Amino acid sequence: MAIEIKNLTKRFGDFTALSGLNLNIADGELVALLGPSGSGKTTLLRIIGGLEQAEEGEVIVDGANAGTVDIRDRRVGFVFQHYALFRHMTVFDNIAFGLRVRPRNERPGKDEISKRVHDLLKLVQLERLAPRYPGQLSGGQRQRVALARALAIEPKVLLLDEPFGALDAQVRRDLRRWLRRLHDEIKLTSVFVTHDQEEALEVADRVVVMNHGKIEQVGTPVDVYHRPATPFVYAFLGDTNVFHGRLEDGSPVLVGGEPPSEKQETARMYVRPHLMDIEHDRASVESVPAKVMHINAAGPTVKVELETPLGEAIMVELTQDRFLELKLERGTEVFATPRQQQLFKKDDYVI
Amino acid sequence: MHPTAYAVGLTMARKHKSVLPGFGLSLGFTLFYLSLAVLLPMAALALKAASVSLDDIGRTLGSERVQAALWLSLRTAFIAGVINVVFGLLVAWVLERYNFPGRRLLDAFVDLPFALPTAVAGIALTALYSPNGWLGSIAGIAGIKVVYTELGIIVALTFIGLPFVVRTVQPVLQDLDAEIEEAAASLGATPYQTFRYIILPHVTPALITGFTLAFARALGEYGSVVFISGNLPGKTEIAPLAIMTKLEQYDYNGAVVIAALLLVVSLIILFIINGLQAWGRKRKLA
Amino acid sequence: MAGIVTKQAKAGARRARGPRTPAQIGLVLIATVFLVVFLLLPLVVVFSEALSKGLGLYFAAITEPEAMNAIKLTLIAAGIAVPLNTLFGLGASWALAKFEFKGKSFLLSLIDLPFSVSPVVAGLIFVLLYGTQGFLGEWLADNRIRVIFAVPGIVLATMFITFPFVARELIPLMQQQGNDEELAARSLGASGWQIFRRVTLPNIKWGVLYGVILCNARAMGEFGAVSVVSGHIRGKTNTLPLHVEILYNEYQFAAAFACASLLALLALITLALKSFIEWRGHSGS
Repeated sequence: MAIEIKNLTKRFGDFTALSGLNLNIADGELVALLGPSGSGKTTLLRIIGGLEQAEEGEVIVDGANAGTVDIRDRRVGFVFQHYALFRHMTVFDNIAFGLRVRPRNERPGKDEISKRVHDLLKLVQLERLAPRYPGQLSGGQRQRVALARALAIEPKVLLLDEPFGALDAQVRRDLRRWLRRLHDEIKLTSVFVTHDQEEALEVADRVVVMNHGKIEQVGTPVDVYHRPATPFVYAFLGDTNVFHGRLEDGSPVLVGGEPPSEKQETARMYVRPHLMDIEHDRASVESVPAKVMHINAAGPTVKVELETPLGEAIMVELTQDRFLELKLERGTEVFATPRQQQLFKKDDYVI
Repeated sequence: MHPTAYAVGLTMARKHKSVLPGFGLSLGFTLFYLSLAVLLPMAALALKAASVSLDDIGRTLGSERVQAALWLSLRTAFIAGVINVVFGLLVAWVLERYNFPGRRLLDAFVDLPFALPTAVAGIALTALYSPNGWLGSIAGIAGIKVVYTELGIIVALTFIGLPFVVRTVQPVLQDLDAEIEEAAASLGATPYQTFRYIILPHVTPALITGFTLAFARALGEYGSVVFISGNLPGKTEIAPLAIMTKLEQYDYNGAVVIAALLLVVSLIILFIINGLQAWGRKRKLA
Repeated sequence: MAGIVTKQAKAGARRARGPRTPAQIGLVLIATVFLVVFLLLPLVVVFSEALSKGLGLYFAAITEPEAMNAIKLTLIAAGIAVPLNTLFGLGASWALAKFEFKGKSFLLSLIDLPFSVSPVVAGLIFVLLYGTQGFLGEWLADNRIRVIFAVPGIVLATMFITFPFVARELIPLMQQQGNDEELAARSLGASGWQIFRRVTLPNIKWGVLYGVILCNARAMGEFGAVSVVSGHIRGKTNTLPLHVEILYNEYQFAAAFACASLLALLALITLALKSFIEWRGHSGS
């Protein structure tokens, strides 16, 4: 079912958690809400789920205003960050809970419940764990039980709060791919919250980048990564070198090593470390003189830390080949040159 | 933490422990003081109890007055415990879950029965529930007599036992994540269903522990009861008072028999509590 | 100029809570009324009865010689029992929380024992041990030492009743804090006493105070056990709670409640200190 969020505002006392948010989520879409903690992403998810009420604006699910519907009747599958499994119940009883608490006339029969639970256990690949208690499961298994439990009520939408937050790195990666495949299989409109850009980019159809209770950008993973709309999005999605410069006739001028004064600065250039190059000679006007401070060659790329004469750090990522070619050592005097950059005018980042 | 990692941590901690000094001194002092202040007097009771003749035991326990006192103590302690389970859970729930003006003050006052000397509680309750007291006059309109009846004993024992239930249940409720209740609601459970199937099973071990603690305390309670009960032999005379009466009659053997019986019941309760707490911990890990 | 922009973190907003639905407000109301009627009213009655015959009689009741003697004896009993039990609590918690040994849980149960003994039974065991017909009665009589129906009996009974309070508070606290800081101090060359004095004690000081306050409240308020061993000799072996009982049984209600109000005041101070320490503990030190 499609979700439509109109002009949503939420305050906690003096703190504005969400201000005037608008967002449309299409039927069957898998959307990530990405942002640092305090950006309002979890609050947004909780409002969509009916766990929290907004002061202004509305959430429309499947054409109906969800704000007026009690959480019990919303048919929203919510997977909690710490799973919130009922620990005195077996896996089976946890998943069956949502069916058993239905009013008598809507409640499926015993056999029907059993069949539904087993189908769900099969879906999340935990058939043999039905009689276990949550305490006897690994983190990844608990996560899948929580998911099966949420799916048992045949929700209109599935909401997941930091679904992989509490897991080990390896389990995280596996579960991420598994969730993506599951979604392709069941095609349920799903929204998940994460602070991990890698997770959002890998799993979601669309990513909503949030900051300070506002949406910074909505787009496909390729969009937000390669065409970030704001300096925040650029910075949040990866390591970043920031260059301060000025605009002349609409094009950036960056005088190597010379910082513009506060007044002169009219633009900033954002460059990812892997989009920087190192040369022994000045390649262009944009080249910045610097000294090699630290080299980390262990890994698929070589990370070189440079320092300008003014004492500021520049991070550069080189291929192993390029690194060998340059014969860099600690203390080598070099020039750093941006190969590709993202320019933000002063208006874009001055609040 | 992973279970094995935890176990490894434990064994490592154990190995390290001997590094700290002062074990012999502190344990020696502990045992010495414990023996002098507690074990020696308790041994006196055990020795005396062992020397009581079967005749004395039969005479004491066969007496209708003593039997009535024992049953009265068990009955009133049980009823007060049940009342405390209901209201203790309610109070703990309200104090843990809702924010309202005066909450912290009420929370602090839950411990009043611990802090208020029992004799003071006894005379205050008597004054409050006597026919011309503030509450007694209201009860009198309904034709209910509180002071010098079994009901009065139950009132006093409920007063004494309340904090046991509240303070045992509170941390367990705190431990119950708000997420759990939200999860139940999002799955379609009504507030009653959430209480019945999620919250109640979660707090049951704590409720039973709290009940048992309150029951054990009520069984031996003296100060708060003697004033309100009226101490009518065979009617409102509780077991601890029966001991007192035997002592005043210089019937030491009789006193020892009742005391030993009370103590055995208390110790059984203590074992039950320990078992329950182990059960609760196991459930918590599971 | 260049710099690495790192991720920023900001604390999320706290979830507000309060009773919202009529049912929730109803629950809060029931609980509040129950606590006020059941716990608060008895306390109010004490002060109201105490002042019912005017301030003059109130002060007369608490300053008459017998009352002053009772106060003195109560202070003596608590003054001996509380420090001794505190010392015991410190020693026992060091032995039981910092070391592993066989029989530890049994020892813990023994320390708890006085909690499960009825006050009357507690008094009785001292009569059995030190009374004229008791095991040590003859020897004590030969040496002209009076324990039962005298001050030593009252002190011993008070010690027994309040025995576990401090230890019970400190053992879990010290177990929870672990040994890391003590081991660090040891590795830095501190002696056992220095570790205890400079590392352990500052960490548990609020716990000690908490235990001492509860121990003291019980020591000053104990009634049943003391009642058995005291012999009720007016002006000699009456503690304040026993004095209250005598006045009450003599139908001197206002005077009884006047003396009781002193004990009620002690209870209020105890609760206030207890809340303060809990608040300190929560705000973290």
